[in-house]
Amino acid sequence: MKIDNSLPLEYSTEENRLKIFGFWIFLGAEIALFATLFATYFVLVNGTGNGPTGEHLFKVPTLMLQTIFLLTSSFTIGLGINAMRLGSKKAMLSFFVITLILGLGFLGVEIYEFVEYVHEGATIQTSAFLSSLFTLLGTHGAHVTLGLFWGTFIILQVKKRGLIPETANKAFIFSLYWHFLDVVWIFIFSFVYLKGMM
Amino acid sequence: MKQLFPRGQVMGFAFSLILTLVALSVIVFDLSLKMAMIILLVTAFMQAALQLVMFMHAGESEDKASIYTNVYYGLFVALVTIFGTMLTMIWGYQ
Repeated sequence: MKIDNSLPLEYSTEENRLKIFGFWIFLGAEIALFATLFATYFVLVNGTGNGPTGEHLFKVPTLMLQTIFLLTSSFTIGLGINAMRLGSKKAMLSFFVITLILGLGFLGVEIYEFVEYVHEGATIQTSAFLSSLFTLLGTHGAHVTLGLFWGTFIILQVKKRGLIPETANKAFIFSLYWHFLDVVWIFIFSFVYLKGMM
Repeated sequence: MKQLFPRGQVMGFAFSLILTLVALSVIVFDLSLKMAMIILLVTAFMQAALQLVMFMHAGESEDKASIYTNVYYGLFVALVTIFGTMLTMIWGYQ
């Protein structure tokens, strides 16, 4: 295995570089996946039937809380990768732990919000609008949930094996995934919540 | 300590918070739908670009061109999916 020391650890072998590129291709497919869910939502958004509308359901405080949690976690994982490049395992792991706690906070608020919706009589079966809304939000939430497990395993591996090209590469790829979830959330925040509350 | 908080990333984070607040203005002020959609589109795509370039380091390896081509292709597929669906399911009948 040829290790190029002039590059950051996560890029230092050809295999690592290609893994990062491969993950970008996966993210391209994820963009397409979320596009179909957004398209469905935009078509069905007015199909509220006898159920509540977005204007009635969406609340600013929970929305802002989720947004701040996810935006900040995207920032802290960026700092984690920066610390990894500086070779500081301790700082990197601290930033990763903070990231996952913020992610957990996001998920907690989202689950709270879903429970509130159901209490207000807005279930996934109530209307076409709510079916598409829960599918879109739920798919994003499921990605965050998966990310929490993935991130936990990354932390454990780095802790156990140290910062080597292999673990650094995995950590970097996880950071790409996490930033991507933030990007998706920005579009949900803008075109589902804010547009719905106008 | 200062090394752990690189200026660029801190500025990027501050900027993303500002963009979030600007986007929030569409529900605070009484804007026309068209104006609000323009604001939301601009802030959302700026946020996305910020993440890609600043935090995801999209342009720093030798795969830069391939990565951007792939992202643009994904974006193209997404826009065709969304606007094509709107056209065939809603706008086409109005």
